[in-house]
Amino acid sequence: MNGMIPGGWNFVVAAYSLTAIVLTIYGVSVIVRLRNEVRRNDE
Amino acid sequence: MKTLHADNNRFPRLPWILLVLGVICLAIGTYIGLFVAPPEMLMGQVQRIMYVHVPTAWNALLALTFAFVCAVMFLFRSDWKWDARMEASIEVGVVLGFLLCCQGSIWAKPTWGVWWDWDPRLTTTAVLIFAFLGILALRKFVEDPVRRAIWSAVATIIASVDVPIVYYSVRWWNSLHQLQSSPSTVSRQFWLPLRMNAFGILFLMTAFIMLRARIASMRLKHELAPPPGVAS
Amino acid sequence: MLIAALRKELLLQWRSRAQFMAVFVFGAAALLLFSFAVGPVAEMLRQFSAGFLWLGLLLSSTLTLAESFHAEMENRAMEGLLLLPANPRALYYGKAIANWLQLVLLGIALVPVMVVLYDAGTTRIGLLILIIALGAAGLSAPGTLYAAMTAQVRSRQTLLPLLLFPLIVPALLASVKATSLIILGDPMSQLRSWIMLLAAFDAIYWSLCGLLFGRVVEE
Repeated sequence: MNGMIPGGWNFVVAAYSLTAIVLTIYGVSVIVRLRNEVRRNDE
Repeated sequence: MKTLHADNNRFPRLPWILLVLGVICLAIGTYIGLFVAPPEMLMGQVQRIMYVHVPTAWNALLALTFAFVCAVMFLFRSDWKWDARMEASIEVGVVLGFLLCCQGSIWAKPTWGVWWDWDPRLTTTAVLIFAFLGILALRKFVEDPVRRAIWSAVATIIASVDVPIVYYSVRWWNSLHQLQSSPSTVSRQFWLPLRMNAFGILFLMTAFIMLRARIASMRLKHELAPPPGVAS
Repeated sequence: MLIAALRKELLLQWRSRAQFMAVFVFGAAALLLFSFAVGPVAEMLRQFSAGFLWLGLLLSSTLTLAESFHAEMENRAMEGLLLLPANPRALYYGKAIANWLQLVLLGIALVPVMVVLYDAGTTRIGLLILIIALGAAGLSAPGTLYAAMTAQVRSRQTLLPLLLFPLIVPALLASVKATSLIILGDPMSQLRSWIMLLAAFDAIYWSLCGLLFGRVVEE
């Protein structure tokens, strides 16, 4: 037992993908809401 | 109350530039963090999670600190743009905080064998998320814009003051059960991916807050506008 | 000013003492339910008794706090009160102190229930009452402020606990820890630190909420 945690790539991938997904979804939601608001403004 | 002359739209193109810059920085940081940086001595590959976890932590804290500043500014200046900015930064702060707790959980499982280890910083973040979600709920349920703005500013100040108190009390509470070994120290050769990701998330966060504040300002304008047909 | 406000609050509370009985029964029922959740293992129940007491008190507090602005909301008495040359701060502290007293009484009333259900007795009654007083103060200060806000909003029953619970986490931790040390023993003399934490929390929130109350009720 050399103290190193074996494997772990799945957790790393999970963390990075989650980060990307959450940031993307939130970003898209902000942009969509902004478009709706601008459209409402122009009416 | 001052009229809504500042729509939070002073630099129309800036958020989009920041979005692109942010994605680029994150992409570079992720690439370096995943494929270039060597695995750490004790933690192995799992350490790589820190390259996103630490930047997310810095930015979540930054967003919520900014929310506190906006709350104070609003109470002193009664300027609507600060209310819009506060709403935006609370929302973004909650999203980043939620992300932070998930990342911390994913890090904890291979490291400690449990999904949650009551680390004071993560626990404080979890309590914070609930507190600020409550403030967002408060905003949803109060219809009068003036009251909504004042009350959520007051609630934000109260919640922000609580943050250090929660942190210290959880740390004390936990220290009796667990040796403190926090996932903090990152040695020098690992700084590059950390910094890249930090800037990446910073740019994204700033862009999100700017765009979200714009949405809030536009909605406020609708709410405060005189009804159609009223002679001006 | 403050004395007048306080006197009015206490009178109102005395008049609605049937309500206090109902809340006490609610709290006692909660303590009973906790024991069903954990199971009839005497030693385990004793270990968690402090936690159960404070959870029970916390849940009951949402009832008393929500009620505390009930009188003002009927007949729009709030606006009338604020038109008087009285300080909103006096109104706040009057209500907060009255709520605090109610919670202290409730806490003390629940202690015998805790002793019986969880075999969690102690001889250090004075200290226990002190902790109850400090903990109740921690609940009462922000609770009264949020009760004032949510009294005027729909969905007030969900909004008040939603806002209050995350906020009082330090007070809850400290109160439970301190009560637990009194009941189960304090080999490392930690009691003092927890009491200090509670006192600090109380000092900060009693001043901060008093300061901010004026903005919350202004027109």
